[in-house]
Amino acid sequence: MKSKLFPMILFVMILCLGTMPAHAAKIRVITTLTDLADFSRAVGGNLVEVRSLATGVEDTHGVPMKPSFVPILNRADLIILVGLDCEHAFLPALLEASKNPRIQPNKPGYVDCSKGVTPREVPKSIDHSEGDVHPDGNPHYMLDPVMAKIAISNIYNGLVAFAPQHKAEFTRNRNAYLAKLNTKIAEWEKETRPLRGTKFVSYHEHWPYFAARFGMVYFGTIELKPGVDPTPRHIQELSSSMKASHVPIVVREPQFPEKTPKRIAELTGATLVTLPIMPGGMPHTETYIKMMDYIVHSMVQAKK
Amino acid sequence: MKIMITLITLFALALFSTGVCAQSLEDRMKTLEETLQKQEQGQRSLQETLRKQEQTIDEQRKLIEELKAEIQQNQPSASPKAATGNETEPGGNVRQQVQELKEKVEQVAEAQTKTFPGVFNPAIGLVGETIFGYRGKGKEQTGSDRPGGFDVFQRSIEVVASASVDPFAKAYVVANASADPVTGEAALGIEEAALQTTSLPWNLEVKAGRFFGEFGRLSYIHDHELPVVNRPLVLDQYIGGESRTDGVQLNWLLPLEHYVNLTAGLGNQFGGDIPNPNNAGNFRHISGLNFWSRLSTYFDLTPDISLEPGVSGMWNPKTIDRGGQLLQPDGNSFTERERRLLGADLVLSYKPLRDNQFKSLTWGTEVLYSHNRYDVADASGNALPGRSVDALGLYSYLAYKFDRQWTTGFLFDWVEDAQNKHAQTFAYSPYITWALSHWNQLRLQYTYTDHNAASEASGLRPDHAVYLQWAWIIGSHSHGWQQR
Repeated sequence: MKSKLFPMILFVMILCLGTMPAHAAKIRVITTLTDLADFSRAVGGNLVEVRSLATGVEDTHGVPMKPSFVPILNRADLIILVGLDCEHAFLPALLEASKNPRIQPNKPGYVDCSKGVTPREVPKSIDHSEGDVHPDGNPHYMLDPVMAKIAISNIYNGLVAFAPQHKAEFTRNRNAYLAKLNTKIAEWEKETRPLRGTKFVSYHEHWPYFAARFGMVYFGTIELKPGVDPTPRHIQELSSSMKASHVPIVVREPQFPEKTPKRIAELTGATLVTLPIMPGGMPHTETYIKMMDYIVHSMVQAKK
Repeated sequence: MKIMITLITLFALALFSTGVCAQSLEDRMKTLEETLQKQEQGQRSLQETLRKQEQTIDEQRKLIEELKAEIQQNQPSASPKAATGNETEPGGNVRQQVQELKEKVEQVAEAQTKTFPGVFNPAIGLVGETIFGYRGKGKEQTGSDRPGGFDVFQRSIEVVASASVDPFAKAYVVANASADPVTGEAALGIEEAALQTTSLPWNLEVKAGRFFGEFGRLSYIHDHELPVVNRPLVLDQYIGGESRTDGVQLNWLLPLEHYVNLTAGLGNQFGGDIPNPNNAGNFRHISGLNFWSRLSTYFDLTPDISLEPGVSGMWNPKTIDRGGQLLQPDGNSFTERERRLLGADLVLSYKPLRDNQFKSLTWGTEVLYSHNRYDVADASGNALPGRSVDALGLYSYLAYKFDRQWTTGFLFDWVEDAQNKHAQTFAYSPYITWALSHWNQLRLQYTYTDHNAASEASGLRPDHAVYLQWAWIIGSHSHGWQQR
């Protein structure tokens, strides 16, 4: 009897276990950069498991091609990228190494957030005499929060296409986040009114979309050309033209050394300000909204 | 009594499970109710959005009708006039602008429907590499195929073309022309021409054709992409330059959460430089092929520090010869019959995430063990007892990038001759690289090569050399996996 008791107990316990609700598998989302990860979490909510290849401190063109990314990409359901060739230095090789056919270019799992973005600075000639040009235009549109809403829309479409049964929840999440973001956009537009017409330079050409959105004038870059470090002559010419045009702000992205931007600021009497280009790039900028708060506030303070 | 206990236990279990099930059923019902409420809310919100959109559409429709009416009112009765800039009627201006816009849109649409003959052309890039050099000794004392003294030669002009073949594969070709050491003329050859699958299941990838087989870390890197001017001695001697083969290779990314990669291949040769091609004779048995494999993995020790180790093996079980008869200093000749290589490689990198374009420190090293079996003949051609030779060699380099444009480093070479392990060569090479841009690079390297007495029996002498390498790229250039 004892020998029959244990199997019977086991059988009953198994029956009970069988009636417990199963955990639904989360959608595995990999993003190239941290702003996209923030948006993906906001839209996907509890239905997604999001990981960003970048941590936030890297240059967007310098995210390393780590083999440890390969198994992560191999298991991904979606890869979400900025597009406009922003990730050309690391993503194509990683995607090839991942051996995941679902997330290759033009497949449903490949979500290009630049769809619908009207790019700025589309080069008239694609030639390396112009440096590391992006053939489809400047890819740094995410620093314009209105353009960032296009990325959110593309992320939403990607998630809905992958899991249409959760469309209602994605829609709710998206609308809730957009409502929050729209409120912040209105605040930022108000806060940046004193910056209208203010000229500034930066190390790399990260800021034309930001400048256009908030009415600032993007005067130029410290780099000679995209991806090409400044020559002494370029530094001299830039400083002279900045003085002549009364450019009051030098923006340094923390991925670039401080030495040259600091020198230019000293030569021209401008204010040097260090600004992140993606969430996590500096302390207290862990989300997109916090990052934009930081950028807007720092720019306003730099003008004073 | 026992039956009672059994029944009570079962009953308790049933109650418990019913309770648990009931509880879980309750929870499920509650969840379902909450979901239904949320869905109802969502539906109401959707209906509200739809209502607003319909309202917007109506308003826009009214506006379009009003504009149409305005345009019609302002339409001139005579034939259309050219724009003079003096029109004052706003409708006329609007009509003109709309007409201009329409023409532009039609032009763009027409341009997009045009097809060009080259629309399916592959991506093409070109690499040039010139070496300026000075060696203190002549080539008979250094064993080099280049003359001693002052030298300039175009080491390579490479044309790289790649494209997708179809949804299942891509292909690439690397054609290389390098200056012949004797005539100076460019001798064109196909370094690589291979097809690579892109959509096999189970994390597999097949490469077939002519390519550099995956062995170690640097043997499948092209000359201009090496971290130093010249290929390390041990790779030149034991592999034969680049690991070129005509064959097939299978790559498997193991289905683990940790990166582990396994490659295995076979081909009719392994090593690109003459005298490396295997002599097939009249009929090549399977033992006449070369077989190789590599297992590699990767560790993120910290976010900024990584370690990538690997082990490799290569075996050519049986060949008629590889490179013909190899004359030895004592007058005998060796004919290679079997070739084995084992390798262990390691790359330890410090690349701070924030500054990785401006700062990094990389240590790369590879140790190779060679075991070859030779037939031996004396100067008259008489067969002598065969010989197996075990030999070791390694290279180790340290590269310190202290600016986006500047890297300095040091390479240490040590190799025992594959036919005579007592003959050893050492080389010490400090260097500095100036990358003006991603596509334009200069490298200055000094190399002191030293030989021991056994090695000097071959006529080799210690040598000082200075090299200036200038490499450039034009056209399409992608960041391949090998450049990680």
